[in-house]
Amino acid sequence: MTDLDLSRVWLVDPAVGREGPGELVVRDGILEAVTWLDESDGEGVDAAGVVVAPGFIDLHAHLREPGNEDAETVATGLRAAAHGGFTTVCAMPNTTPALDEPGVLAAIRAAAAASGSPVELLAYGAVTVGRAGEALAALGELADAGVVGFSDDGAPVRSASILRNALAYAGALGLPIVDHPEDATQTEGAEANDGFIATVLGLRGWSASAEETAVARDQAILADVCRDVPGARLHLTHVSTAGALELIRRGKAAGLPVTCDVTPHHLALTDEWVAGARRFAWEARTDGDPWRDEAIVAPPYASSLRVNPPLRTPADALACLAVLADGAADAIATDHAPHTEVDKAVEFGSASTGISGIETALGLVLAAVDAGHLTLARAIEALTVGPAAILGRTRGLVEGAPADLVVFDRSERWTVTADALQSKGKNSPLFGLELSGRVLLTMAAGRVAYEAPISVSA
Amino acid sequence: VTDVIDGGAEAATSAEVVVPSVDVAPESQAVGWRHRHLLDVDRLSTADLDLVMRTADAMREVLARPIAKVPALRGRNVTLLFYEASTRTRVSFEVAARNLSADVVNIAASASSVTKGESLVDTVRTVEALGAQLLVMRHGVSGAPYLAAEVFGGSVLNGGDGWHAHPTQALLDLYTLRAHLPDGSVAGRKIVILGDVLHSRVARSNIWTLTAAGADLWLCGPATLLRGFEAWAGRGAAAGRRFNVTASIDEALRDADAVMALRIQRERMASGLLPSLREYAARYGLTAPRLALAKPGALVMHPGPMNEGVEIAPDVAAGAQSVITDQVTNGVAIRMAVLYLLAGATRG
Repeated sequence: MTDLDLSRVWLVDPAVGREGPGELVVRDGILEAVTWLDESDGEGVDAAGVVVAPGFIDLHAHLREPGNEDAETVATGLRAAAHGGFTTVCAMPNTTPALDEPGVLAAIRAAAAASGSPVELLAYGAVTVGRAGEALAALGELADAGVVGFSDDGAPVRSASILRNALAYAGALGLPIVDHPEDATQTEGAEANDGFIATVLGLRGWSASAEETAVARDQAILADVCRDVPGARLHLTHVSTAGALELIRRGKAAGLPVTCDVTPHHLALTDEWVAGARRFAWEARTDGDPWRDEAIVAPPYASSLRVNPPLRTPADALACLAVLADGAADAIATDHAPHTEVDKAVEFGSASTGISGIETALGLVLAAVDAGHLTLARAIEALTVGPAAILGRTRGLVEGAPADLVVFDRSERWTVTADALQSKGKNSPLFGLELSGRVLLTMAAGRVAYEAPISVSA
Repeated sequence: VTDVIDGGAEAATSAEVVVPSVDVAPESQAVGWRHRHLLDVDRLSTADLDLVMRTADAMREVLARPIAKVPALRGRNVTLLFYEASTRTRVSFEVAARNLSADVVNIAASASSVTKGESLVDTVRTVEALGAQLLVMRHGVSGAPYLAAEVFGGSVLNGGDGWHAHPTQALLDLYTLRAHLPDGSVAGRKIVILGDVLHSRVARSNIWTLTAAGADLWLCGPATLLRGFEAWAGRGAAAGRRFNVTASIDEALRDADAVMALRIQRERMASGLLPSLREYAARYGLTAPRLALAKPGALVMHPGPMNEGVEIAPDVAAGAQSVITDQVTNGVAIRMAVLYLLAGATRG
């Protein structure tokens, strides 16, 4: 079993609301000791060096198995997760067949066990049979089998009455409905965020209102349902517009049992990238014109940037960061969406939507931290205890428990390349980009899930 | 990365435009053209535009000869890969290429091949293996030529992609305007693009070229067909590309120097963007009384094909102010010029 001795590292443990210099000992896979150093002993240790945090939880990942194993399998997805610092992954049920009955759950659990990965695989069940939006899936049976919530992700729950029933039924089971907020009547054929960039590029506009209408609808239904069903809970995933985030902020203020997550790509990248700009949201000028300020350095229409919801404006991305910073957003979720080359090496508008992002999530979030839009502690919180709470759990550096942690070097930069990604999905728009915060070690369930080729000096 | 695709930002900026001698092959002389592909007009400098215009002058001169043909592209393969039905543009490119003595290969890709199963990338690799050197491409999806340019070893010339761009149309429109406007310049002239701006690659490309040339550009149409253009105007203005967007046809046409009507398509009604063609014709059709709002002798243009009686009245289309057939002739000269310049850049 694994032993690990880390001295004079920067510990971040959101479970106890603490960060600072410390030491950590793992013996036989058990986190034996977490020692916080006082000021004099910890002198010279800072958050720019080696950081140790609880393992990350991804509330939203597509592992593609069963049905599309060319894009990803449970085994490769869990390997990619570990490389990204994640020790728990919640798989979305939009597989083929959909995870709408316990048999599919058993199959992916078997695949996870066969992979040998210590990364924990959790799964959502579909809200409706075959994700077709018509009849409720076997929610009770799925709950008994251990799903952590229900989602028709990839698509919204289109019918308002089905959503109402699902919120009530799942609420009584103590599980959340995870909705993908999109009013599909407004997004037919939509390709890129509605506005300046889409207009110039001749791409069909994807309006912010399509997301905001859905969030408003979902929350109105939730308000109704939760009066009768106290356990009803709604989680809105990959929220991407300033307006939608404001609606959720108001919903929370009104006491609604609603939570939400934002993705690393929506907080760091913008629709300017579709035009060929390669600067982060906080570097963009919202009134400017990338054609004029020479921000455009790459060809336009890179299909790796086609994602649902679309990359939004710099103002929307900054709103995602603001809600993370002040806690109105509960979690960062990757929406890891691996695709095959065949599904992406096509015209922008014909490309499958999604970004292979579980391995670049930490790097993008740290870029926002480096730019001063988020504290390191809050970023880690949104990757650990934030999502844990939505799953009804905790996550922290707990002495006596099997080690579940990530060790990364804030100052070590790595270049995103196809070869650097463990995921089968090479559909990343970040190739060639340098990210900081290389993951050195990920431990889950007391075992090494990922170890960087260069060994950690202990 | 842009350089790989586009030939680069270091395109000709010098005011000194050297007009090539189009009777001989382009690679035998120094021509200030640095773009390997012509995918859009957004990166063309005013010097680039000038070079195209001057080269087109030389091509017009060729077209006026008893035998309108030069050997400049002899032995070169120009492949026309059209995913959308088009008679005018395809024939215009074909005539242009033949006038330059190029070998022309025509491929009409069926619309079904755009769908999954037969990828654009595969098709482009195939036509290259069949000898294509200059690839003229028309495609229904915005941005498709950029994908082709990523894999094609020669030059890609965008013959129209989705709603995005139609570079040679914008260049021939600019050429036609310069030929007919007093002083031969569009600077300060009020030019109106009228109609279905939303779905128009012609409008988008003209925005770039006409604002670069200093025109007082107005976009006009029903509000549903102008979606997104106010946002472009707002951001573009900060960059010195000014244009106006209005749903008021009277405001747009008043004292205009030129009016370009755009084709309106029946599908627009099905998607709820317009109540009816009849209503469109009544409110936005370019009729003689409406044209009277413009300056006397204002130019009437249309990229074709026209729906006469809908976006343009037949008497206006055929009237004394119409330069529509001249646009067609200039289209051949412009396409000869662009093929010639790209052929020179390919080996540069």
